[in-house]
Amino acid sequence: MQSQSNFKYESQKLGSWYFTVAVILFGAQLLLGLVSAIQFIYPSFLYDILDFSITRMVHINALVVWMVYAMIGSVYYLLPDETGIETVGIGIGKLLFWVLTLAVTIVVLVYIFIQVGPANQTTIWLITEGREYIEAPRWADIGIVVVVLGFLANTFLTAMKGRRTGIMTVILSDMIALAGLYLAGMYFTDNISMDQYWWWWVIHLWVEATWEVMVGALAAYALIKIVDAKREIVEMWLWIEVAMLFGSGILGLGHHYFWIGTPEYWWEIGALFSALEPLPLVGMFVHVLYDWGKEKGLKEHTGADATSNNTPALMWLVSNGFGNFLGAGVWGFFHTLPQVNIYTHGTQFTAAHGHLAFFGAYATILIGMFYMAIQGKYGIKKLRATFDSKMAIFLITFGVLGMTVALTIAGYEQVLIARAQLGGTWDAFFVAQNQLWMSQAMDWRLIMGVVTTVGFFYLVKDLLTISKNPQNVK
Amino acid sequence: MSRKKVSVWSDNRFWQRSATWVTGFASILLIWLTFDTMGQITMGNQKDIDNHIAKKVPSATVINYKVEYNMNQFRGHEVPVIGGDDGKGNSLFKVKEKFFGRDDYSQKEADALLHLGKLASQAKNCMDCHTLLGNGAYYAPDLTKAWLDPAWGKDGPLQSMTGKNTKEEAMAEFLQNPGKYPTHARMMPNLGITPKEAKGLVAFLKHMATIDTNGFPRGFGKIKEGVVYAKSK
Amino acid sequence: MIEAFTDMNSSFFGFLNQGPLTLTIFLHTVIVLPMFWIYFQEKKRLEREN
Repeated sequence: MQSQSNFKYESQKLGSWYFTVAVILFGAQLLLGLVSAIQFIYPSFLYDILDFSITRMVHINALVVWMVYAMIGSVYYLLPDETGIETVGIGIGKLLFWVLTLAVTIVVLVYIFIQVGPANQTTIWLITEGREYIEAPRWADIGIVVVVLGFLANTFLTAMKGRRTGIMTVILSDMIALAGLYLAGMYFTDNISMDQYWWWWVIHLWVEATWEVMVGALAAYALIKIVDAKREIVEMWLWIEVAMLFGSGILGLGHHYFWIGTPEYWWEIGALFSALEPLPLVGMFVHVLYDWGKEKGLKEHTGADATSNNTPALMWLVSNGFGNFLGAGVWGFFHTLPQVNIYTHGTQFTAAHGHLAFFGAYATILIGMFYMAIQGKYGIKKLRATFDSKMAIFLITFGVLGMTVALTIAGYEQVLIARAQLGGTWDAFFVAQNQLWMSQAMDWRLIMGVVTTVGFFYLVKDLLTISKNPQNVK
Repeated sequence: MSRKKVSVWSDNRFWQRSATWVTGFASILLIWLTFDTMGQITMGNQKDIDNHIAKKVPSATVINYKVEYNMNQFRGHEVPVIGGDDGKGNSLFKVKEKFFGRDDYSQKEADALLHLGKLASQAKNCMDCHTLLGNGAYYAPDLTKAWLDPAWGKDGPLQSMTGKNTKEEAMAEFLQNPGKYPTHARMMPNLGITPKEAKGLVAFLKHMATIDTNGFPRGFGKIKEGVVYAKSK
Repeated sequence: MIEAFTDMNSSFFGFLNQGPLTLTIFLHTVIVLPMFWIYFQEKKRLEREN
């Protein structure tokens, strides 16, 4: 990306740096995901060299980190647009970017080359904390907190100095909660129930509450930019979404407290609150399609150019509406009731939900933000989707849906055989793993993973070349 | 003055205030619930066992006792039963069981073992292949009630595979040399687990099996076909 | 009338659990009810402003 930058603000340039690292980490996530998928089928692949525990850890960590990068990048990107001014501490912002990137690189290298350590606090501080999703060693935790505090200070000071919009208000309060919750994960206890209680504060309250609200805010911003939606209307939707997302999501946390040693009253609380979690996702879906159609109709009526300002971003935004509802909403609801969850908890069912939800709810909208940044960087008035853009969205979406279906089938088989029929023992687990339904599902998961990865290469190619496409060059 | 028709439903301020209220109050409820839960899941101690008080998360000294997983009539599902069953699925806290040749671990010794085991479970990334309390990865068996798996018990295939005579020694042997004892084409990697760490990990597993998980997993180890050694592919 | 606890320890929230969904419906109600108050307050404000 050597050509002239058209960014009006340094903050947007910094945002695009974050996006660049996010894309690289997205690639790392897919690569390690493929290795893990191969290990399911050929368990001797890289055995005792790069074991499943490591490949899978890097797979999910790269996922979380690329999404956090893309979210920080998105905030830096939209900050000047919303506030009308340059980000105040842009120099510090850039420094923190390099600090964070260096820290992430060291953490990943240590994961891959050192892997595990002896059972003492040094391992927890320097190598791994060994808690799914937040394995980052303690030193990195503290580093992340410092960087995020700097980022928060930057956004706050900018928002206070500039224009204060509804979108900014939501983002600011959401970012505080998001950062504060991370502290709940920096804690060691011998009591595994207590450990997982607080661990879920980070994981659940991130992905089922604060991240979703962030998506709502990004979608609101994108709709204003892409289809010229009216701010008052978009912001009203946003407040409704916040009320519904937090109203269901905060106590929906209870659906993780069914079986970890916590009291039985969580059955009820978790069941109904989390059963309502899909509602705001339906709302977001309707909202995106409705605003798109309405603005298009208004423009057509006046004879103006009714096409959107950024078709690839709009495609990803619409797929976010679908994906969020389907992956987070429907697939989440499938196993959120305790009567069902007693058998599905800890099976491939969760993996199926995880794949479609992370993709549908977050990957889609963040990729949409990448296209917004491309449009800003090259100063293209109306960015048109190319063949590569279409291949990227088709292959990635198809691939993830395919993986989800495969894992869902594997999950059902595991629920029926390992859990309901055989009682969940060591042998029950492997009897279920040997079934044809499981092994074929794992084959299809790998095939669909490859499809997703091919789509990713189209995406990277498109991000690099879309500005040079004749229809986007004036 | 005639009243104008107003639309509160399309008013931003109404939704903003509602969002603030809902978020704030749900957070307060969550904090309240958290205090309540914290009180209930704090780890017990030997005094609770001496006084026959059942805890959600019992004392580390449960390693001195026999542990079962039986149907409790009152609760309506299976619960961990410590030191013998009263016939209704309640713990008697009487029947002891040797753990590495001893059944008199003091509070301090048991706490230290559990501490080492919990640290090892994190330092070795157990959770990125196995599930603990059902959470983790789905590449390897769930370990929530692994201690109660009949396959590790007397005459169980996993115990006899290691050539050891007790459950805890068999588990410790397996943990130290997983490559030597494949139970499936999918093998556990060698993680450099020392004899001390292995002992800690087994204590951690035994303790985890005594956590009251509201009946998860259902029917664990009760079905005969589920404990026949699964031949590897 | 009052159901006995089936859980290990008694607690306020366990007490509210008096049958299918009583606890969760109670919590939903206390969250939603004050929104009526907000609604009427905002309605008054809008009528004053118009």
